Amino acid sequence: MLNCFYPIFILLFQEGAGSATRWDAITEGVRHPDLSKFLVVGALLFIIGVAGVLTRRNIIVIFMSIELILNAANLNFIAMSRYLRETGNVNALAGQIFTVFVIVVAAAEAAIGLGIVIALYRNKETIWVDEIDLLKW
Amino acid sequence: MPLSGYESVFFWIFAIGAIFAALLTVMARNAVHSALFLISSLVSVAALFVLSGAEFIAGVQILVYVGGVMVLFLFVIMLVNVGAEERGRDEIFNKQRQVTTSLVFCFVLVLGVLYAVNKGSSTLTKQNLAQEQSVEQQAEKQVAENAGLKRSATRTSRITRDTERVGGSLYRYASLPFEIASVLLLVAIIGSVMLARTLRQEASADDLDPDVLKDEAAHDPEIMKLEATSQE
Repeated sequence: MLNCFYPIFILLFQEGAGSATRWDAITEGVRHPDLSKFLVVGALLFIIGVAGVLTRRNIIVIFMSIELILNAANLNFIAMSRYLRETGNVNALAGQIFTVFVIVVAAAEAAIGLGIVIALYRNKETIWVDEIDLLKW
Repeated sequence: MPLSGYESVFFWIFAIGAIFAALLTVMARNAVHSALFLISSLVSVAALFVLSGAEFIAGVQILVYVGGVMVLFLFVIMLVNVGAEERGRDEIFNKQRQVTTSLVFCFVLVLGVLYAVNKGSSTLTKQNLAQEQSVEQQAEKQVAENAGLKRSATRTSRITRDTERVGGSLYRYASLPFEIASVLLLVAIIGSVMLARTLRQEASADDLDPDVLKDEAAHDPEIMKLEATSQE
């Protein structure tokens, strides 16, 4: 039974090139988390957000899941920016600049989206997305 | 350079905290609880930003997301009625088939992303190992680089010039997107004000379709008065 989870653990902790055994590689990965760990956290947050958008009925929670997705993208940008700065890239701050713009767009999107939710609630008296079917015939 | 020492401890605390809070955001029955879990997830991610040396972005994340956007969310949750789902009467997820399909899709996505990250990063470490030193040597190099900078108030770390550089390149390298972002925010302000108006507010601004006005006047006579005062 536990064996079927084994591939997931292998995928979570990549083989460090300098270590002798797989156990060494795993402990090395836990003691010194690098770029790949940041990317894995970002990917998991993104996928939780996608699952929220696809499964929830409450339109406000769907908006919150979209915020989670944008935040996961921000985490990737920041991790990559750090990696580029340490490898001596000249334009390493571009990731941080882009993150500022992602946050701006997320704020604008939340303001407009919640305005739409309020207008919709006034007209349809519901926040369940499966009951909002005006365009369906 | 990978994190080491206390940095890695805090990395694991905040990474696991962010993922659990995100899961609870999606699964909480009450929308207010969802919003609070989302706040804790955003704060954990801000801590991860600090660990990767982006202090300015972490501050912006806390100020804009937690201080601005989430308060807006909480206001809207309290404006619309969420009583039914709190009492446990209504289903909070979609129909069974849709949920199963999307979860299978997400699981495939998880495996694909983990495989890709794993594959890419193991070749990356091999490349770096060929030219770089061990973690300890890299940390020493970092300390030597920062030796010229001023000490912070706690005397344990140095004040870096990263925030200064972010601000500088925001105005030089990214000045056009910066201006476009300000126009976007203006459009968002005007748009949300227009969208959230009530019928009466629309009538008093003389912005209502004449047919709609006639229909509404049948059971709300005051709306005609509002329309009339605006035309004077």
